[in-house]
Amino acid sequence: MITLEQKNFEEIEKMTKGYNRLLVLGCETCAAMSFAGGQRQVAELASAIRVARKTSGEQGEVLEEAIARQCEPEFVDLIKDDVAGCDAVLSLACGAGVQLLAERFPDKVILPGCNTLFLGVTEELGVWSERCAGCGNCILDKTAGLCPIARCAKQLLNGPCGGSMNGKCEISKDVDCVWQLIIDRLDRLNRLEMLEEIFPVKDWSPAGHGGPRKMIREDLKL
Amino acid sequence: MYDNNPVNAMEHPPCRVACPILTDVREYVQLIAERTFKEAYASIRKLNPLPRVCGRICTHPCETACKRGQVDEPIAIAALKRFASDGPWKGRYEADVPDKSTGHKVAVVGSGPAGLAAAHDLAILGHRITIFEALPVLGGMLRMGVPAYRLPKDVVDEEIQAILDLGVEVKTGVRIGEEINFTDLSEQGYKAVFVAIGAHKDQKLGIAGENEFEGVVSAVSFLRAVNQGQNPKTGKKVAVIGGGNTAVDSARCLLRMGAETVHIVYRRSGDEMPAAKEEIEEAVHEGVQIAYLTSPLEILGQNGKVSALKLMKNELGEPDASGRRSPKPVPGSEFTLDVDMVIAAIGQAPDSSFVADKLELTERKKRIIVKGPYTLVTTQPGVFAGGDAVTGPATVVEAISAGKRAAISIDLYLRGEPLPTIEPAEEVKREKLSPALVEKTRNFARCGKISLPAEDRLKGFDEVDAVLSEDLATKEALRCLHCFLGARIDKEKCISCLTCVRVCPLGIPTTNKMGEITIDPFACQACGMCVLECPVWAIDISLNFRSKIALEIEQVISRSQQAEPMIVGFFDLHGNFRSTDVKSLRQDYPNILPVMVFGLRRIDTCDILKAFESGADGVVLAGCPPDTDPFPETADRVKRRIAHARTLLDALGIDGARLEVCDMPEKGIVDKELIDGLIQRIKEPVQASSE
Amino acid sequence: MKSGSNLERLLESGQFAVTAEAGPPKGSSPKVVQRKGELLKLCCDALNVTDNQTAIVRMSSLSGCVLLKEMGMEPVLQMVVRDRNRLALQSDILGAAALGIRNVLCLSGDHQKFGNHPTAKGVYDIDSIQFIQMVKTMRDEHKFLNGEEISGDVPFFIGAAANPFADPFEFRVTRLAKKANAGADFIQTQGIFDMPKFIEWMKMVRDRGLDEKTHILAGLIPIKSVGMARYMRNNVSGLSVPKEIVDRMADAKEPKEEGVKICLETIEQLKEVDGIHGIHIMAVAWEDIVSRIVEEAGLMPRPVV
Ligand SMILES: Cc1cc2nc3c(=O)[nH]c(=O)nc-3n(C[C@H](O)[C@H](O)[C@H](O)COP(=O)(O)OP(=O)(O)OC[C@H]3O[C@@H](n4cnc5c(N)ncnc54)[C@H](O)[C@@H]3O)c2cc1C
Ligand code: SF4
Ligand code: SF4
Ligand code: SF4
Ligand code: SF4
Repeated sequence: MITLEQKNFEEIEKMTKGYNRLLVLGCETCAAMSFAGGQRQVAELASAIRVARKTSGEQGEVLEEAIARQCEPEFVDLIKDDVAGCDAVLSLACGAGVQLLAERFPDKVILPGCNTLFLGVTEELGVWSERCAGCGNCILDKTAGLCPIARCAKQLLNGPCGGSMNGKCEISKDVDCVWQLIIDRLDRLNRLEMLEEIFPVKDWSPAGHGGPRKMIREDLKL
Repeated sequence: MYDNNPVNAMEHPPCRVACPILTDVREYVQLIAERTFKEAYASIRKLNPLPRVCGRICTHPCETACKRGQVDEPIAIAALKRFASDGPWKGRYEADVPDKSTGHKVAVVGSGPAGLAAAHDLAILGHRITIFEALPVLGGMLRMGVPAYRLPKDVVDEEIQAILDLGVEVKTGVRIGEEINFTDLSEQGYKAVFVAIGAHKDQKLGIAGENEFEGVVSAVSFLRAVNQGQNPKTGKKVAVIGGGNTAVDSARCLLRMGAETVHIVYRRSGDEMPAAKEEIEEAVHEGVQIAYLTSPLEILGQNGKVSALKLMKNELGEPDASGRRSPKPVPGSEFTLDVDMVIAAIGQAPDSSFVADKLELTERKKRIIVKGPYTLVTTQPGVFAGGDAVTGPATVVEAISAGKRAAISIDLYLRGEPLPTIEPAEEVKREKLSPALVEKTRNFARCGKISLPAEDRLKGFDEVDAVLSEDLATKEALRCLHCFLGARIDKEKCISCLTCVRVCPLGIPTTNKMGEITIDPFACQACGMCVLECPVWAIDISLNFRSKIALEIEQVISRSQQAEPMIVGFFDLHGNFRSTDVKSLRQDYPNILPVMVFGLRRIDTCDILKAFESGADGVVLAGCPPDTDPFPETADRVKRRIAHARTLLDALGIDGARLEVCDMPEKGIVDKELIDGLIQRIKEPVQASSE
Repeated sequence: MKSGSNLERLLESGQFAVTAEAGPPKGSSPKVVQRKGELLKLCCDALNVTDNQTAIVRMSSLSGCVLLKEMGMEPVLQMVVRDRNRLALQSDILGAAALGIRNVLCLSGDHQKFGNHPTAKGVYDIDSIQFIQMVKTMRDEHKFLNGEEISGDVPFFIGAAANPFADPFEFRVTRLAKKANAGADFIQTQGIFDMPKFIEWMKMVRDRGLDEKTHILAGLIPIKSVGMARYMRNNVSGLSVPKEIVDRMADAKEPKEEGVKICLETIEQLKEVDGIHGIHIMAVAWEDIVSRIVEEAGLMPRPVV
């Protein structure tokens, strides 16, 4: 899933200031699963904005709404009327959702209420970590199923560097050295010989360095 | 009105399903836990016209079924009923009796619990009721059977009076079949008759010597004499034959009346003995001896008086038709017991001869046959029957149930409406709680009983058990596991985020491969953790549900007298406080608006914000002391949640210090110092700016 | 000869080499580099110029190299992949070649998080091993990474770093082999304090014949104070400073002397280790001690080849 977190309240307060009728719009997929944009977080944030406005004497109404996914036009179009009736939308979705809103509602101010973080896994309730950087050309077959692009601080394809100590990355004792993990797993799989080969330089163009990415499936598109 | 349809055991708590009158046990237990005792009493009383009787002597099948029993010990449901019904708030229950009578006259024959219950419900339905009672006093076995040390007579009298106050007419000393013929009732204008004559005829032992010697007495007549204060002649060494409540009560009465040794002779083992286990224990405690697996062979006498009882040992054989293992005599095991009195308590049959030509009766025991166990119709139109007269000796609550069912049927009959056909509920074999769940459920000891010491008991017929104190009662009520009040998932909203699966302290929610979440409504204990954490609010709960808390916040604020500073207080009902503590809190701090909840686990940041949004100046959350918290493992998460709320408050310009969280004191509801501190903190900035 | 550098000649002729490190300044003055050059000129065969060491912005290493070269010294151009993508790396290699630089040390670089611009975006387009391979291809095949022809020669003696003390230990030799296979002509190791571990590593190196494939120069860090010893022991990832060293520094009346002593003892021990072709002294902010160490280790004067 895509993980995201709500922006801090001060930032949200500043960016929403002056928009009399503000619609706080949740996204009930990744954003909800990240506890950043589900109905509960919408209610909490909307209520917080109302209290803050009350305290500072600012006028205006804060409305609450949520849709299944802000990254799908059909869902977005379902809240046309709500959006029409407000001065700005504070989107609690990932950047993709915010932008689709902006596209569908060209005349409306759309504000991002969240920071989009990464593609990751839930380690446990309340703990998520990055696993994939969306590089467009997966190499996990060569790295024992652990991604050095997303999880090595230096994206080394021939790691680990000289900073790997006690299984931890040089940047922090809290960060696992993914290359240590790769080596451990290759060892377990009896494939340590894979490390002898020099991994060639990577083609970064499918990773987004070739310009904005788009995927078209001829067999599917309308 | 009372609905006699069986309830679905997959949706209702086992305590309720087990109760013959479907008492909403969970509701009144919860009301006691909430310290709203009057409401608890009303909840009981609306279904049960004899709550104080049942609070004392009900055999409480609810407790046998109670889910808590699978964890440690069942909730002391009967004792709680007595607590709720004995308190000073009792009697304030007011039934709605219609101003206008329907004009229909109904005769109720017999004033035992069956007759009384029917009279009560029919009176509330606006019919004109006359109870005919053969004996000079009302109450049936409640008055003539059950001894006063278990059920004081004034309790029976008061409950009966409340029923009569509904406008029920009584004719005592009138035995139908003697003073008035059964058939005359319809001529006297009674459109319907409920026959609830009980089972008062003791059965014969059928052994040699039974009719020859002085000192062989039937239990029913013995108890009747005792209950009427007639001081019947008592032997010094007595054998009571039988294993039911009648036998045990006879034995305990005998001890109180001067008998030196009392033996109960019962042919099967203790496991099969029908008398209530507690009663047997009390009897043994008081000094009654019990000879299990023993059958009488012959009563021996001297000079026309009983002198000994010849007995024989049994062993248990194959289960009989009743499912109990039948006793088989052990050859050569005969022995004799020196006794000067023998009481026969081996079951009673109804004295139904006066209706023998009108109603169909069972062959041997002459019980009245009814065509449906719910409608209680007999072979005669307009004649209904129920209670011990139909079932044979049973229990008070079953008799009340029969009375209530009869009332429904009679009402329909009088209004010319067809009687429904009701299928008995399918017996649900509910799966036992998993050992893992039992392991995770925190144990809380069941409240003890406060009883007279054995030596004081035998001095007379004073009531043995005392009513629970408020402290004990609330504590006991808080043990309830809130069956079927727990989490329910709205599958359409659920996004399979698995939060509920992860957050539940008991591991109740489970998922399948496609992310479909299941919450076992019986296993869930309604702790409320998942309800709050679900990011899309797909879960709601019946106990203190979200919108209810929100509404309560609104209500307390709108009711408030604008006292300054206005503080919304969330108080955990699991604390050690009394209803009076809540009252004095209201007096001492009119500015604190209390919202009572089962655990601070239920209070969301949204609720806290809501309070501020609605105008509160501060919020205090008082959690129960850790030793009373049923889910102590959630305490840390609750603290972190509140810390989050505090940070948010700070960020939005409200001093986070206006949000206070604390544990309640060991006794009482709040620590005054802490509250004063909070008030001070709220006031301070205002003072500073005005200077 | 691959590059014709002094260092290459020396090592190929089987002599024991001495290199040292000179960090460029956090400023634009050439004097700092020149002063360090003066200090080290006579006591070492080539001088490494660091590349934004520990991710702190300094004068570029290429400029430092040029300044040293102008003084008649032989520089080793350090280059990290943290700050340059494949385009920048290749163009700088060409530029260095044009300016007469003949030695290059290909490194990953410390993570930008540690430096004075921790919010920077790291480049890491290619890694150090790929970098070595790339320079080798440029030199030997006259080809860019994309296969296009390069006009002119790219004569470099290619170096790489090795850290025998980082984890996982067993893999460290494999990594060295990878670097050697990629084209590393010489290796400069991390500073050595944990001699037993180093000896064990060298044994594994010899077992795989790597000491024949590439020239290994053992790294040395003279310790100035007990504080420095402690800091390196506790805070520098990839360094292994045994407790005895810290204790020795703590107990010493004259810590600087003790530091020199430790360094000299290490050199003596290293001389006994088969497969060591030289030493590399990293006297960070203590460059003036290097000549004394080299002198007292009996490695003076430096040979001319
Ligand atoms: C000693 C003893 C202890 C018991 N202990 C318990 C206990 O602890 N818990 C429990 O749940 N149950 C107990 N029971 C059982 C319980 O009391 C009975 O099941 C219950 O009272 C039956 O109620 P009923 O209305 O059917 O009959 P009864 O209570 O027997 O009432 C029938 C009434 O009808 C009257 N009557 C009979 N014939 C006529 C007639 N022809 N005309 C007019 N009136 C007539 C009788 O005089 C009597 O008053 C006990 C019973 C006994 C005997
Ligand atoms: S190699 Fe690329 S696609 Fe595969 S996990 Fe890593 S970043 Fe994602
Ligand atoms: S735990 Fe409570 S609701 Fe459940 S069976 Fe027992 S009394 Fe009834
Ligand atoms: S917490 Fe809510 S959304 Fe998540 S799985 Fe449970 S019910 Fe579904
Ligand atoms: S209410 Fe509590 S016990 Fe029930 S499923 Fe939710 S978390 Fe579990």
